[in-house]
Amino acid sequence: MKDTRGYRIIQAWLEEKKFAPFTFQEATWAAIAKGESGLVNAPTGYGKTFSVFLGALIRFINENPDNYKTRKKNGLRLLWISPLRALAKDIGRAMEEVISELGMNWSVGIRNGDTTPAERQRQKTHMPEVLIITPESLHLLLAQKGYPSTLSNLQILAVDEWHELIGSKRGVQVELAVSRLAALHPSICVFGISATIGNLEQAKEVLLSPLKKSGVTISANLDKKMEVLSIFPDEIEKYPWAGHLGIKLAAKTLPVIENSTTTLLFINTRGMSERWYQVLLNEAPDLAGAIALHHGSIDQDLRIWVEEALHTGLLKVVVCTSSLDLGVDFRPVETVIQVGSPKGVARFLQRAGRSGHQPGATSRIYFLPTHSLELVEAAALKEAMDRNVIESRDPMLLCYDVLLQFMCTLAISEGFDQAVLFNEVRTTYCFRDLTQDDWIQLLSFLTTGGKALQQYDDYKKVELIDGVYRITSRRMAMRHRMHIGTIVSDVMMKVRFISGGYIGVIEEGFIARLEPGDSFILAGRNLELVMVKEMTALVRKSNSPKAIVPSWEGGRMPLSANLGRMLREQFDEAGSGSSNKDEIIALRPLFDLQSELSHVPKANELLIEQIETKDGFHLFVYPFEGRLVHEAMAAILAYRISRIMPITFSFAMNDYGFELLSDQPIPVDDSNVYELFSPENLFQDIQRSVNSTEMARRKFREIATIGGLIFQGYPGEQKKTRHLQSSASLLFNVFREYDPDNLLIRQAYQQVFDQQMEEVRLRDMLQRIQQSNIVIRFPERLTPFCFPIKVDSMRENLSSEKLEDRIKKMQLQLSK
Amino acid sequence: MQAPLSFSVSGEQLWLSPHKAVYWESAGTLIVSDLHFGKTGHFRKAGIAVPQHVFRNDLQRLFDLVSFFRPHTILIVGDFFHSAENREADLFARWRNDHDGIRIRLVMGNHDIFSEDWYTINNIEVFKNIYSQGPFSFVHEWLPEMENGTETYFFSGHIHPGVRLSGMGRQSLRLPCFYFGRSAAILPAFSEFTGLAILEPDEGSRVFVIAEKKVLSLQ
Repeated sequence: MKDTRGYRIIQAWLEEKKFAPFTFQEATWAAIAKGESGLVNAPTGYGKTFSVFLGALIRFINENPDNYKTRKKNGLRLLWISPLRALAKDIGRAMEEVISELGMNWSVGIRNGDTTPAERQRQKTHMPEVLIITPESLHLLLAQKGYPSTLSNLQILAVDEWHELIGSKRGVQVELAVSRLAALHPSICVFGISATIGNLEQAKEVLLSPLKKSGVTISANLDKKMEVLSIFPDEIEKYPWAGHLGIKLAAKTLPVIENSTTTLLFINTRGMSERWYQVLLNEAPDLAGAIALHHGSIDQDLRIWVEEALHTGLLKVVVCTSSLDLGVDFRPVETVIQVGSPKGVARFLQRAGRSGHQPGATSRIYFLPTHSLELVEAAALKEAMDRNVIESRDPMLLCYDVLLQFMCTLAISEGFDQAVLFNEVRTTYCFRDLTQDDWIQLLSFLTTGGKALQQYDDYKKVELIDGVYRITSRRMAMRHRMHIGTIVSDVMMKVRFISGGYIGVIEEGFIARLEPGDSFILAGRNLELVMVKEMTALVRKSNSPKAIVPSWEGGRMPLSANLGRMLREQFDEAGSGSSNKDEIIALRPLFDLQSELSHVPKANELLIEQIETKDGFHLFVYPFEGRLVHEAMAAILAYRISRIMPITFSFAMNDYGFELLSDQPIPVDDSNVYELFSPENLFQDIQRSVNSTEMARRKFREIATIGGLIFQGYPGEQKKTRHLQSSASLLFNVFREYDPDNLLIRQAYQQVFDQQMEEVRLRDMLQRIQQSNIVIRFPERLTPFCFPIKVDSMRENLSSEKLEDRIKKMQLQLSK
Repeated sequence: MQAPLSFSVSGEQLWLSPHKAVYWESAGTLIVSDLHFGKTGHFRKAGIAVPQHVFRNDLQRLFDLVSFFRPHTILIVGDFFHSAENREADLFARWRNDHDGIRIRLVMGNHDIFSEDWYTINNIEVFKNIYSQGPFSFVHEWLPEMENGTETYFFSGHIHPGVRLSGMGRQSLRLPCFYFGRSAAILPAFSEFTGLAILEPDEGSRVFVIAEKKVLSLQ
């Protein structure tokens, strides 16, 4: 490769700029020159863009050594999938710079939700050589008539930030797009670009599956120094309460902010980020103008402004959520503060990597606990980083909803032959186990609409015309194009000042709970609700001291399995007094109280506490397996106990453990506890516990929306489509009752088992518990461990009592 | 068919059926609300594949109620059909034809947008806003100001009422209900393809929830 014209030209250009290529970049160029596919593993900020992009240029120069500078209108050569719209502009700018310095005539286009129709039209006739696109917009491109000719010159497909996409339905969208492109261009080069995750090899396999090639893995192997510093409260509270300590420690972040050029303060929820913004401003009024807020509900223009200001070093501190997890580097950022648990090692590393971008610089991250027990997580994170234990991102399997959407996408552009498409779809990792039966069901769902009363039916969507499946109705096609995508957010309401001026968006459910005159906080402003009109909440400025901070759903990640294991080890060391970590030593008083009242579990022990309070009889269990596994385990345990006697529970959980609460004593003791935690009949017990239905119902909203069952209306046509509105929960009831084998219903349950309950992890946990000692204690009062669960709870319930009996016990609650 | 529950209002004997209907004994009238017939068909026409058997089942329940109570009148307090005419209306029309001995009265609801001809052909008496008989008046949506200066007791629908029950151990349940207020009753939506609006019962009201095919009195 090094003796090719292209390499020499690129090498000369780099030398002129006094850059030396990294080994991984050269390896990528060589692979692309040979027409290979693969995965580049490199962190942000180390020229990963140039690995694939310069490779594409080298290849082009080699193919056109004499006229590479003058050749114009070469058609689309490189398709660059990027998950974030905000990234596209920066990447495009960097690419254009190289092209112009090389004196070439390539153009770089961007295609995403912000691209104007005029620009789209231009791209249709003259595709740029490089197109930067989101997975959704790529599917929209596949929904255009004549897309194969638009893409006829395509050689290279780059998938940026593949680690972010792989575990999601957007990743499935990418897989399906790769399968289509590989069918159009059997010799296409596909390169994923990914940060380090636990399953890199699998990530490559998933991406390249349709190519039927194993591909190369090219790793940057750049060592980055990292330092974790905990911020300690002056006094360790023995009864930790989530969310309450963090704000109290806000003042302690000021010296850190003071001493850094720019600081990113990561908060786990949008609601808390609003609070932090207010509190920091109150504590340090001189930060005004140098502090900004960045989260998913803030107006996009404002977010872009914040990002630009970060680049130019205008801001001293930005309070942000996972909205800043992705994306380009902000070089001025020197320090990162993580407030509350990051829930996983990979995420923590990624956030830490946000600081100290100069090669060789140490990334410094401060950990600020929101309750004192969280300090144990800091200790666990340090340990995990030392031992290089990083989470995997598991690819999603058999997402029928995404497939249905994809089938409709192809049906509105070129139509499809079912046998050809079936084989093509089965080349993807996601659908490699798709059966012929399921495929037929999918086809019939689209063509005949499943269960129907033949002659009394008007169903129409996809039609079979001369062996080709097509959607012919323009209206249907338009609606489908508007619905392409897999990100389903809650119904959002715009928030505007009554005098004009847009502030951001907020969940409809939150506004619905407010009365006009109530105050709430959004985008760092104190606002009073005046009225709701159509889908807009009109507000005015408020001075009310009692403004409500909205608590947003979503974004609440469970603790990862890796971090859970590390935590158990930390507790073990804490209990035996053998730890030399600052965090564990600081928590001594809390651990002393816990041992006095109950017990500090060792790594091979499961602690169960039974406590009676005026609320009823509590059973607390501490497996440290994350909220989702606990939710499932609570349901299964409740179900298993309820088979012993008629009893009703409600349950609560956090990342450390869960609670069952009943109005009668809970029959769990040494004689039956191992049986109650047995992995036997797990699957059946999951299905029988009422909870899986409730969880599936919640999952169904996303599935029904992606699968095209939720009608979102045409723009500006809200009134006319009112008769087509129904809630996902109602659809779920109807399908479950009248078409229980429907693939989308099955998918909802499967997703619950795989993701919500993390069935594999649940089984692993039960097996671990069987091998460990179960310690049951009967503390006289609440313990430090149970307190955060009791206070910070999300409740579910399960009952084996007859409904009639329950209602007799209940009182009518006069509340919404 | 599950047994109805006995209840009386203004001295009239009523039977509350868990199939979401009220039988008014002395008038031989079955009172139902918010049938939303044709809703599945409306969705399916737009390419949204809701199982049509929901509608068949709703129709079957109406048939079962008629066989059980043998009413001479069915009184619908609005939202009989969900939207514009479609083939599901034809299925109803066939059913109607087989039961032409029963009188059907419809107090129009906001969803009732069929042509007048259709009601005439299918022998359905239509009342624009209100229908009164004996001590009762029937409207689709009851509004508090209707109470002024009248002795009549109202039957209404429209909102698809439900209540949330909660108890010890922070349990909670959402169930459809019959709501009998001081001067008006709100009936549950007959159709299974409808959601619930959670009510806050006033003092002095009676609430009957529908749970597992039974009608249960609260309080």
